[in-house]
This record gives sequence, structure tokens and C-alpha cells, in this order.
Amino acid sequence: MAHKIMQKFISLLLSAALGAGIVAGAALTFEPAALHARAAEEIDGHRFLTENDGYRLYLKEEDLSLIIEDKATGTIMESAVSYDDGKNNDIWLGAMRSAVVLTLINKSDDTLQADLLNDQVSKTVTTNDHGFTAELYWKKYSLGFTLEVGFDNNGLTARIPESSIREDSEQYFIGTIRIYPFMGYSYLDDKEGYMLVPDGNGALIYLDDKEGRYASGFSGTIYGTDIGFEDSKVETLLWNRYNTIADAEKVLAPVFGIAHTGEGMAFLGIVEDGRERAAIEVVPNGASVDYNRAYARFVLRRLYTQPTSNNSTVGSLRICEADRSHSDLQVRFLFLSGEDADYVGMAAAYRNYLLGKGDLEIREDTYKTRIDFLGSDRQSWVLGTQAVVMTTVDDIKEIYGDLQSEGITDILSVYKGWQKGGLYNLPLTSLSVESKLGGKGDLKSLMNSLQGTDTELYLYDNALLINPDETNATFNVIKKVNKRRYEYTTYKDVYETFYYLTPARSKLLLNRFAKSITSAGTPNLALAGITNNLFTYTYSTEKYTRFDCAAVYAEAIDALASGTNLLLEQPISAYWNDTSVFLDMPLYTSHYILEDESVPFLSLTLKGVMPVYAEYVNFEANGQEFFLKMIETGSYPSFYVTGADSSELIYTNSNDVYSSRYESYRGRILEYTEVFRDLSSRTAGATVTGHVIDGDLRIVTYSNGLKIYLNYGTSPRTADGVTVEGMDYAIVD
Amino acid sequence: MKKAAGNNRRWQKRLLAGALAMGLLGGIFAEGNSLKATADAPYKSYTVDGYGSVTETQTAYLPYKTITKIGDETLLSPTDFCLLEDGTMYVLDSGNGRVVISDPEGEFLGSFGEGTLVTPRGIFVTEDRITYVADRDAKQIFVFDESGALIRSYGRPDVPMYGETQDFLPLKIVVNSSGTMYIVCESNTNGIVEISPVEDGTFLGYFGTNATDANIWTLIWRALLTDAQRAKMRSNIPSTPDNMAIDEKGIIYTVTRGEGQEVLKRLNIAGVNMIEPDTTDTTPAAVAVGNHDNCFVVSQQGFVYEYNNEGDLLFVFGGKDDGQSRIGLASKAEAIQVGSDDKLYILDSDKAQIQVYEPTEFTDYLHEALYLFSKGRYTESKVPLGKVLEMNNLFDYANMAMGKALYKEEDYEGALKYARLAKDLDGYSDAFWEIRNEWIKHHLTAVVLILLGFFLLRACIRMLDRKKHILDTPRAFLRKLGEKKLIRELRYMFYFMRHPIDGCYGIKREGRVSVTAANILLAIGLVFYIINRYFCGFLFKTVREGRFDVLSDIGMVLIAAALLVGCNYLMCTINDGEGKLKDIYCAFIYSFSPYLVMQPFLFLLSHGVTYNEEFFVRFGTLVMFAWVVVLIVISVREINNYTVGETVKILFLTAFTVLIVCLLAFILYVLWAQVFDFVGSFVREVVYRIGS
Repeated sequence: MAHKIMQKFISLLLSAALGAGIVAGAALTFEPAALHARAAEEIDGHRFLTENDGYRLYLKEEDLSLIIEDKATGTIMESAVSYDDGKNNDIWLGAMRSAVVLTLINKSDDTLQADLLNDQVSKTVTTNDHGFTAELYWKKYSLGFTLEVGFDNNGLTARIPESSIREDSEQYFIGTIRIYPFMGYSYLDDKEGYMLVPDGNGALIYLDDKEGRYASGFSGTIYGTDIGFEDSKVETLLWNRYNTIADAEKVLAPVFGIAHTGEGMAFLGIVEDGRERAAIEVVPNGASVDYNRAYARFVLRRLYTQPTSNNSTVGSLRICEADRSHSDLQVRFLFLSGEDADYVGMAAAYRNYLLGKGDLEIREDTYKTRIDFLGSDRQSWVLGTQAVVMTTVDDIKEIYGDLQSEGITDILSVYKGWQKGGLYNLPLTSLSVESKLGGKGDLKSLMNSLQGTDTELYLYDNALLINPDETNATFNVIKKVNKRRYEYTTYKDVYETFYYLTPARSKLLLNRFAKSITSAGTPNLALAGITNNLFTYTYSTEKYTRFDCAAVYAEAIDALASGTNLLLEQPISAYWNDTSVFLDMPLYTSHYILEDESVPFLSLTLKGVMPVYAEYVNFEANGQEFFLKMIETGSYPSFYVTGADSSELIYTNSNDVYSSRYESYRGRILEYTEVFRDLSSRTAGATVTGHVIDGDLRIVTYSNGLKIYLNYGTSPRTADGVTVEGMDYAIVD
Repeated sequence: MKKAAGNNRRWQKRLLAGALAMGLLGGIFAEGNSLKATADAPYKSYTVDGYGSVTETQTAYLPYKTITKIGDETLLSPTDFCLLEDGTMYVLDSGNGRVVISDPEGEFLGSFGEGTLVTPRGIFVTEDRITYVADRDAKQIFVFDESGALIRSYGRPDVPMYGETQDFLPLKIVVNSSGTMYIVCESNTNGIVEISPVEDGTFLGYFGTNATDANIWTLIWRALLTDAQRAKMRSNIPSTPDNMAIDEKGIIYTVTRGEGQEVLKRLNIAGVNMIEPDTTDTTPAAVAVGNHDNCFVVSQQGFVYEYNNEGDLLFVFGGKDDGQSRIGLASKAEAIQVGSDDKLYILDSDKAQIQVYEPTEFTDYLHEALYLFSKGRYTESKVPLGKVLEMNNLFDYANMAMGKALYKEEDYEGALKYARLAKDLDGYSDAFWEIRNEWIKHHLTAVVLILLGFFLLRACIRMLDRKKHILDTPRAFLRKLGEKKLIRELRYMFYFMRHPIDGCYGIKREGRVSVTAANILLAIGLVFYIINRYFCGFLFKTVREGRFDVLSDIGMVLIAAALLVGCNYLMCTINDGEGKLKDIYCAFIYSFSPYLVMQPFLFLLSHGVTYNEEFFVRFGTLVMFAWVVVLIVISVREINNYTVGETVKILFLTAFTVLIVCLLAFILYVLWAQVFDFVGSFVREVVYRIGS
């Protein structure tokens, strides 16, 4: 009783203090949990709006900025910068404090900013039980839209409905929109924590003082860059021919996040609508301003270069897309607190979100030894090309037999280059098998004999590419927005160029191919190419957006998932529900200088949901380290093997497969199978609940209590009484 | 075998010790002013195949850490640095006019040179920590002792031999064990300035001067040009080396911007170059000597090249940071050093940082093999080579070394296979010689017996034929066949090549040949040409393995034939020649008879000989073509009834006409391309304007 009275008294005092405006600033933390049982009227000019089970939402109508307060601890996260260090100009202040920030396109200028502070904006704010809607209109530019903010137990959503977007001017058009770009910001090293970067498997940028080292932040287009806008770039090539820079990893999942680990509060941002044409930006302090921020940038329109002559250096125009892309734009912020306010918590939140939404299904997680085969490729010969036979159907049988004699029967294989004309005779339309591999009869009989066993063999199909040297590629190939055909250059001798099929054509051919393999009784398909590429394109005078492309691909993949046994190669998050295992998970990042730590965010999300296989072991220069990385991330190894020696491939397009002979890998296959089979059985169905980075040491904790200690250093390390030798690991139940 | 095992163990120990040191350093550095190590690279690694073209390989070096500060000291436009055996680093912080010393942990140990240095550009530190700094604008070499106190300085050598008007603008410096300084000076094209420390600096002369590329063509060309045009040409002054390095034996490595043999040189004491690198960069920035008889070159764009001691390229990796901001890419690389643990340190003056790279497992195996191989321990080297090849079957250097190792072990079949993969022609030739030798040894008796049997059989048949006329039927058939017109015309080639004058008479007056026959011969010739081009013995192949471009080959031959015949006919008609087009065509084709007759034999021979006997093939080819030329000259004379003088004149005129026709075709092509481009641009712009 006395306690209650005390509580009341203190909260009264508190409201009084707030009312007097004493309490202000970013570092607004309150100690005893009980203090926050009731909402404050106002925090820093933001009035209380609504609440859910764990958090309260406060709104300031002037700039529509938000404050989210953790009920349990009183910790807050702000969507707008409340502390000005005095170094920022009006444009930046506008960007830092507005709920929505736009860049506008005016002729060939796409740098004009519109926000809620610097411009005259007519604003109609209507609040409701779960948030508010704000109709916004920039008179100067004659454009506007409605911002809808919702707040419930599934987090905070900020949405701009497609139907509300108006562009009434002939001069100004919306280029990009950022919604709450400074959500969860921090100033220099004021707060302890990090930002999550969706680069590769995942990376962190710490919230320390970067001392102005970085001029820009991470910017990654969700689901990969848009080749439809690809300009001829100025690149420094080796001997003016070879691009030595490896492609950056794709943003496979539309997520970002900020964790204030010191205060125990974090958010995970998920781009829900409009993600097909948006980028994730994670910018540390020092890049233009001294604030750390992470946000999504939706793209509605872009400028592009329209060459007017064959020689692109002679004449070209910089022009704007005639029509913007049409889609709702929505970001969801999931707030996390206490122990969950870290990247492991974010991964768990994302997993639960996907499972709850039905975008992910729990699959059977049994370990299978993954051995992919390369059937055949082509090399030049007197007139035309000749087959280079690497792995025949009989070779596969022999390899399976050999593995069975060692007690390995759980096998997952993808057969590449099985088709007539070799690996790059694309696209595929029917089950037409290279006769030198044994032909259709042999392959069918092998696949039939595997039915009902634990060995699975999948036929590989890249449904994106068409080979103009082998097939008529005049029609059904895409052109870029500037109406120039897109050409994918291989820098190889036999087939130098490939084109991209239009999504409709890919779908049609896939459908045909699926029918062909289904009727042959071999409906196992490993799909690549369209699983992680989206593009804007033109085809016979029509322009199609990435949304159109994504819709067609999604239909095609959905249809395949229901009609065949489907595996997807490095799929983007939109298709995760359609594959029974995840092939070719990147274990690292693109190594941007500003990333401080690489973390297995995607692996943590998917572990316990579906089996995840890493990229091929063959081409790793540091074998042991890669092995440890697979154990850390809970990914399984993949081998790419051939019956013949890989030196046979020297004159083919596959000459980057420089090591693949089965005999060379047999020992490692057996060794890895033992390790990962054991690991898989001990972690089956469990999710990762803890991931600790301590110098070279990593400690991974599973929901069933299993702990794995990994040491990437060369000298032994001890933790929790467990000693791990250099470049080794230890498992404790 | 025991010894081998011992060596292996020693190697493992070395690797382990290196790895341990790396780990220790890594652990400490991670705490300091450097960024974390990564396990994957943002760049690809390449190696070259036997034809010098690039193939991808495993990552050779991974970014290990980035040093952006030394202690709390930031660097300003550093231009050079020196890494000592124990890991101490002397960084020439040029923007701040000082030398900064860092311990292996990246902690600041001190600095010196403030106030003395003006525009320092190069630094060298000896093992006993005497620091030499090349200062361009002070026109001095400053020498500092271990404590950083200035002890000596050297200015412009005051001797006539140095060059009366030659300025002294030192950029880079290395010093050998006896204290002799080698200095690269700006705009001094005489070479590297060599100064001995005795008597306050004695000028010893110029060292390692680059040569100019004056060949006969440039001489003729220059003679034809006006002064103004000549001034526009690339200067013919030898280029000054850009940077250099010195190894423990005093061998000096230099790099020079440009192309060809000058780019990377390995100079002995006498200044003689000992390597010929197969592949080089045009803008090398610096060179460093490795620990395994290897050397490294970094280009300004940040491409890092590793060579073995013979100049074979092992790896090239890295690249320019065109705004990607990814770890391990460079903005402007200026200097490179190799640590005793094989780590590479590359100084980037734009980013004012030192990027450290560590070798991968793959590279460690290769280095081990490299070391054993260069010491002649071939059998031992097979173990690491096998590892390398297991990881990369197509690694050219490993294939070559494996071939050599197997050759030493007398496994010639294996040696042949690897030599062919590596395009190691000499190795292939040697292995082939041994195999052939073996074959001859084993099969000589059989061959002699077969030949003997053959002769016996022939004698028997002849005897039987004499007695019983068993060969009458086939003989009659052949005679009948020979009487066919076309066959007779074709067979005329044998007569023509032996009796060209009569032969021409036969073509011109007696109608002994037809266009059809000539066409058939041309077709046969083409087939021989294609077969020989793509399937002759490996040692004589002029095209790359695996490359086929048959259609353009045929096209080229046909165009050449048409040009030659056509132009010759045009010239003959206006020079009172008697020849008709048909006669000229047929005579030309028949002049190639020796080719049709000899080429198949040469082709077979090319499969059986090694470099020891290549003379036979080369000489045979020479005889064949000389014969063809003689026949052509005689034909032109006889068909047109010319004198010797007229013939020579016509031949020159024909050559000239061919040249003119080619020129005309080229001009027409260029003009049409312009027209097409214009029309294309016009249409595109119209379409765009209407469309929008």
C-alpha cells in the first residue's frame, strides 16, 4: 500500500517536472522501472499519442516527429534530431527533423530537397487510436501525399499509400522519399551500440566517433542493383580489360537496425511495401553530419543517360523517367529492449515476423551432404564448339556408390550443365540431356532409382540468361531504360556475351521446362538467375518496373514451388517461402571500410527454420577459416565436383572452376560430413539465442542450451572454462 | 626421404611461427589504431596462363588490417616507408616533413627530421637503423643516426661526369651493406645515381640506365617527319626509373613507367638485367623483395603483382577504389614493403594509410613450393605443388614446376602433360625427346622388322606381277582414271612445279589446266592450311590451344588470293601483259604446288621432332616457300611474256596496288561508319524527341 502511494507521488512529481520543461534532451533515462507505469503527458514537445504492450508513442505535430518510450525502463528512441551541435545548415536540419524527406527532380537536377521544416507544407493531422494520418502538400512544388503511422503490438508502421501520392506540377517530380530517416539516431559516440547493415550475411557499424574518416555511408539497393539503369561506368580495369573488383554482395533481405546496447533499446526496420525499388542506407557520423542514422530510401523516379549515338561518348542526354513507379511505401519498426536489444534479438524478431506473416515456413532441418556436379561445358573447335565432358551420369552413380560405402546416404546434389549443349546452352525448355553424359534415358533411370531414398538430385536451370551464340536471341530479351539491349559480358573465350530474358519469357519457358521434367517423372529443379535479380526494362516500346519484374517472377516461382521440388540459389527474401533449403548463403560481407564487424545476421535468422548451405568450399583460399565460419553460422558445406580433372575446363567458359576433381575432395567430404552431421543432430530445430564476439573468439548459444566456442586466432583461448586451440572449435552441451 | 621429411617439418615450423607471430600482432593491432581483419576479399586474384592471358585463382592475399594512425599521430600525404626485420616501421610523413617511427604494435616511438626535411620523397633505413632520406626540394640526401640526429648530408655530386647542367632532385634511395647509395633523381635520364660514402660522397657513376627503343622503323619514320611532327612524337629519351628496392645480396630491382622489358628489372652489381617479366603494369609505383626469391610490384592504381625470380607472374590482385570504399582497394599506392612473416604493407598516400595484406593458405603452399623449387629440391617441392594443384588445377606456375619436378624424376609422360598445360615449350620439348627416345629404344626392332617386311612384300608383289600380271587390273583402272580430264589437270601440278616455264606454256597455250582444277587445288590448300594451323605439333603451333577461328582464316586466305591475282591482272593489262585473268589465276594457284606436296610431310614431321631437330621443319618450310616464290616470279614472266626487268617492275607495282586497295577499303570503311553513325544518331534522336 505504501509502495503504491509512493509510486503515485513520484509520478506526480515527474509530470510536474515535465510540464515545467525541465527534462529535455536525448539522454532521457529514468531508473526504477515502476516509475513508468503511467504515461508522461509530453516528452520534449512530443505529446502522448498511444501505446502498446511494451512501448508508448509520442508525437510532435509540427514536424510529425515521434518518440518511442520503453514502458519498462523509460528509455526512449527519437525519430528526429533534438540536439543540434551547431554545425548543420538549414537543409540538413530540415532533413534531420522531418518525418519525411524528399528529393525532387527538376529537369536534369535531382538534388533538390523538400522537407517539413524548410518548405511551406499544408498539413492535416488526424489522430486515431493506433496512430495518426497526416495529409501533406508542398504548395511550392505542387505535390503531396498522406503519411499514415500505426502503432500496435506488431510495432510501428509508417506508410504512404500509392493512391495518395500527387504530383500536380509539370516541373517538379518526386525522386526519392525517406520516412523517419533519423529514427533511433545518436550523436557521435554519445550512445553505446551499433547499426545493422544488410550487407552479405550482415555487418555492424559501431556507434563510436568515426573522426570524420568516412565521406559516405553504406547504400545498398534492396535485392541488388538495377541493371536497367546501368551506365557505362568509368572503371579502373586491369590492363584495361579485367575488372578485378568482386561484385558487392546483394541486399537479400530488406532490413536495417540500430541498437543502443548501453541503454538496452533497439529497433529493427523492415521495408514492407516498395522494397522492390528502395535502398537501405546506413550512415555513420562524420559523413556530412555527425549523427549516426539508418533508414530506407524509396526511389520513385531516376535520371538516366540516353545515348543518342552508337559511340556513347559522343552524344547523350541526361533525362528523367517519364513515369514514376507505383507502389505503396511502408516501413515497419520493431522495437526491442533489454537482452533482446542486439543483433541476435533483431534476427529473432525478423524470424518471428516472417513466420508470423507466412513469408517463411519451418522446414525439416536434416543434414545432407551437398555435392554438386558439373556435367559438361563447351570449348571451341574447328567450326563451332565441342563438348567437354566432366561428370557423366555413370560418374554420379559411381560417386554415390562410393559415398554409400562410407555410410553417406543423405545427399543433396545439384546437377549443373546436364543439358544438351552444356552448361551455357540457355534457356532450357525441355529435358534434353547431353548424349555424351549418358542421355535422357540414363539420367531418368538414375533419378527414378533415387526416388524414395535419402539422396536427392536436382537439375540446375538458370532461367535468366539466354545465349545468343546458341539460340536466336533477337526477341524476348530485355532492353535497359535507355532502350539499349542489356548485355552481360563474361570476359571468357567461348561465349562472350549473354542477354537477359524478359520475365514473361522466363516464366513461359520455365513453365514449359517444369512440365517437361514433371512428365518425365524427375520434377527436381534447382533454380538460379531469377532468384536474386530484379530490373527495370523496356520491351517493344513498353517500360516495365522492378515491381512488374518481381510480380512475374514471384508468380513463376510460386507455380514451380507447388508443381515441382524446388530449390532456389541465393534467393532474395521474397522467395524464401518457396525453397526447401537455402543454397549459396554468403558467409561474409562486401568489406566496406566503414563496417566494423561482420555478423551472421541472415544465418541467425534462418537457423532452425531451414537448412542453409554455404557457397562452394572449392574456391576458398583459407579452408580452415571457412570451415569455422560454417560452424559459427550453422551453415552446411557445399562441394562442386567433377569426374574428370578440372584442367579439362581450361578452354571453356567454366575455366573459373579451377579445382573440382572428386578424388581431391573425397577426404574432405567424408570429414565434413561427420562434423556437420553431428552438429546438425545436436542443433536440429533449435534457434540461436546468443552470439558473442570477443576478439578472435566467438561463442554461439542455441535455444537447446548447446554452446559452440570458436577461435579464429592462432593461439589457444579460454572462456567459461573451455579452452579452444587456435583455429579450432569446441562444442559444449 | 628422411631429409625431405626433416625439411618439411622445418617448413611447417616456419609457417607455424609466422602464423603465430601474425596472430600475436593481429591481436594487439586489433586494439590499436587499425581496423579489423577480414576473411574474404573485395577483389579477385588472377594469375596468367602460358599465353599470358589472365585466369582467376584463389584469393592470394587477404586484407589483414589498415593502419590509419601511428599512436595518436595522423599522417599527412606520406610518400614512402621502410619496414625493418623486427616489424619497426619508419614512415616518411612528407606532408608534415618528418619521419615517424612505429613499433610492430603500431605504437608511436618517436619522430625526427622536423625542420630539416623540406619535400622528402624517399626513405631507406639500414638494419643498424641509420636512416637515409631523399629530399627533392632540399636537393640533399639526409642521413640520421639511430636517435634521429642528423649526421651527414650529401648534395649534388660536383664532378663533370655527373653532367654539367644536370640538377640533383633525389626521389628514392636504397643503400647497400657497404653504404653505397643508389638514388633515383627526378628528370635525370642517365639512370640511377650511385654515390659512395667515402670522402663526403664520391660519385661512382650511373647505374641501370634504361635503353631507348630505337628500332629501324622509328629511325625511318623520324627521318620522314618534319621537325614539328617529330616534336609531337613520344620522346625518345630513356625513362628514369620510378622506384627501386634492394635485397640482402645487393641486387637492385627497379620499376619504370612504360611498357616492355624496362618496367621491372633485376640488376646485378654490374647493372645487368637478369629477368624478363612476361606481364607488367604500365604505371608501377614501387617494388619490394619477398622472402622466397620472389618480388612484388604495386601499381599506382593499387594492383599488386607477385613475380618469381625469373619474372613469371604468380599473382595479380587488388585494384583501384573508384568510390566503392571497400577494404583492400587503393586510391594512390606509393610504396610497398614485405614483412618477415610474408605480409604485404602498401602505403596509400591519398588515403594516408598503410594497408596490410596477409597471404592465404594457398599462397603459403605456393611460397613453400617456390622456395624448394628455386633451391633445386624438386622432389620435395612436389608435396606443396600437389597441394597447390589440388586447390587450383589451372595454376600455370605450379603446372610448370610440377612438369619440371616430374621430369627430374624421369616421369616423362607426367612431365609432358604438365608442360603442355603450362605451355612450357622447352619443358615439353625435353619431355617429348625422352618419350620419343624411350619409344625408339623399345620399338626400333619392330620398326626395322616392319620396314623389312614391307620391302619383302613389295618385292614379292613385283615378282608375281612380272610373272602373272596380277596388278594389270588396278593399273588399267589407274590409267583410265588418269586419262580423265580433271585428274590430268590436277596431276599437271607435279609437272608444273618441276618445269615452270613449260608449265606456263601449257597453261597459256595448250589449255592443260582449268579453273575448276585450280579451284580444287585452292580448296585442298586451304584444308592443309587449316589442319596445319590447328593440329600441327604443339611446339610449332602459332595459335593458342583451344582457340579456333577457321572462318576468318579461310576468309583471309581467299581475300589475299583475290587481291594478289586481281591486282596483278590489273597491272599486267596496262603494262602490255599477254596473260588473261584465267591464266594468271591458274598460274598463281599452280605456283603453290610445292605447298600442297610438302606441307603434309612437314605436318607429320612437326609431330615427331623436338626443339633439337626443329631445324628440319623450319628448313623444310623455308625451302617450300622459296620454291613457291620462284614459281610465282617465273609464272608472271612467262604468262605475260615479260623480260626480267619488266617482271620485277610488275611485281613491285602489284605490291603497291595491293597497298592502295587496302588503303582505299579502309578509308571507305571509316567514311561509311561515320555515315551510319550519323544516320543512326539522327534517327535515335528523332525517335526520342517524338517519343517524349
